[in-house]
Amino acid sequence: MAEEDPLGPRVRALFMDLAHAGDLLPLAAGEAQAVCTGEAGRTGEGTRVRFSLRLSGTRVEQVRYRAFGCPFTLATCEWLARELPGCELHGAVERALEKAVGTPAGWAATLGVPAARLGRLLVVEDALRQALATKAPCEPTRRPMVRCSVTDPDESMTDSG
Amino acid sequence: MSGVEALPLYLDHAATTPVDARVAAAMDDCLRQEGTFGNPASPHLYGRRARERIESSRSQVARLIGAAAPDLLFTSGATESNNLAILGSVRSLGRRAHVVTASSEHRSVLDACRQLEREGHSASYLAPDAHGLIEASQLEAALRAETVLVSIMHANNETGVVQDIAALAAVCRRHAVALHVDAAQSAGKLPIDVRSLGVDLLSFTAHKLYGPKGIGALYAAPRQRASLQPLLFGGGQERGIRSGTLAVHQIVGFGVACEMALIDLPAQAERLTRLTQLLWHGLADLPGVLRNGHATRCAPGVLNVSFEGIEGESLMAGLTELAVSSGSACDSDSEEPSHVLRSLGRSRELAQSALRVSLGRSSGEPQVQRAVAAIRREVLRLRAVAP
Repeated sequence: MAEEDPLGPRVRALFMDLAHAGDLLPLAAGEAQAVCTGEAGRTGEGTRVRFSLRLSGTRVEQVRYRAFGCPFTLATCEWLARELPGCELHGAVERALEKAVGTPAGWAATLGVPAARLGRLLVVEDALRQALATKAPCEPTRRPMVRCSVTDPDESMTDSG
Repeated sequence: MSGVEALPLYLDHAATTPVDARVAAAMDDCLRQEGTFGNPASPHLYGRRARERIESSRSQVARLIGAAAPDLLFTSGATESNNLAILGSVRSLGRRAHVVTASSEHRSVLDACRQLEREGHSASYLAPDAHGLIEASQLEAALRAETVLVSIMHANNETGVVQDIAALAAVCRRHAVALHVDAAQSAGKLPIDVRSLGVDLLSFTAHKLYGPKGIGALYAAPRQRASLQPLLFGGGQERGIRSGTLAVHQIVGFGVACEMALIDLPAQAERLTRLTQLLWHGLADLPGVLRNGHATRCAPGVLNVSFEGIEGESLMAGLTELAVSSGSACDSDSEEPSHVLRSLGRSRELAQSALRVSLGRSSGEPQVQRAVAAIRREVLRLRAVAP
């Protein structure tokens, strides 16, 4: 037991290779893709995360993040930045994220993050939600939407009703 | 990569030190049938031999701090010594009393003072200045008519800051107040002479000076010893103040460790001070690096630094090749960062980002250079990721 890395193998591997840390620059107006950015948490409280996502319609093309936090936070950001590209985000933000990559509790189970750190992962989720919530104004193909930038026609109908 | 395969470089000597081979050999002799394994309280030959080793070791330990051997009580370590000194001195009075300590003290002192408060006594917690120092005038202002004890540590366990004990002792003497000093981090590293300093009680431990864990000592000047109330009751060992069968092997190990420390002290102090400077100079040009504590009034070998914009637990986790200490609370989301650094006025973020590197006998220039390279690399990596 003493020889075991307290971070666990998956978190350790991700933490040591934060290859997707960085920013995505906003694209010029009229381009087919949109970059949305969201931030959550505070440095003084131990966790601060910013996500930038490049979207093409409902499809995530590229993800970058910047994070201040514990190794579990950084590793989770890195994992999401690897997992999210290629995902389709249909529906309300919360549901779209859950469908694409699951919930913070699920991330914790997948990566081996201790339950005591779940609060940190909620900050990560908040940053992602914030990013997606800013998506609507950047949407290249505008549709009537309510709430947080959904593009699934059925969901839009429900929300706008 | 798992990052934990290689044995990390040990730079956490303020937490504990490995037992010196000569200490281990002396201890081993007291564990076996053919050695000095007897109970020192027994009247037979085995017991008498053990008692002789105990008293010889008591003299070795006493010499390290300039004390007379009979003024030394063996305990389980500095935590017990601190508790015995503080609780034992005040409880024996049978009246409400006041104690003075500093907010930057070790938990074993702070928690003992809080226990006294729960028992109806009062305590004052002095705030150190930005370098961690307590001024004599500050202490004097805190004393009251009912003050019976002052407890101030010699060298701080996190920052290494060394208090001017002689000046504080002079204040205590003027007001006829007893002075207890927690010397867990300074015994064997800095010269100590309890009699010339005017200290009434002094705690220290073996495992910080290449001795075994589980054994420590409390120096109690005769006048103070007479009024110490025991924490443990039983066989009446250690003049009735600390009951319990004396751990011969640990006491013998403690004695050898103290003897070696006394011989090596001047050379080690000079060497470790030089290496600490080398370490600091290797980091000082990083942007946003702050030294916690005092640049010169510091125990040899201890460097505590904070890094702006760095999360302490991630810094520690990235330094897989080093065994160092952090100011962060890694085990729980609710824990506060180092109370010592907060008491110096460091912000929560800076306290949380702190790293304590403590050098020891096995540390040399190559080890310091490796530490500098690793810390620089990790600080720059985490800064590149931060928002």
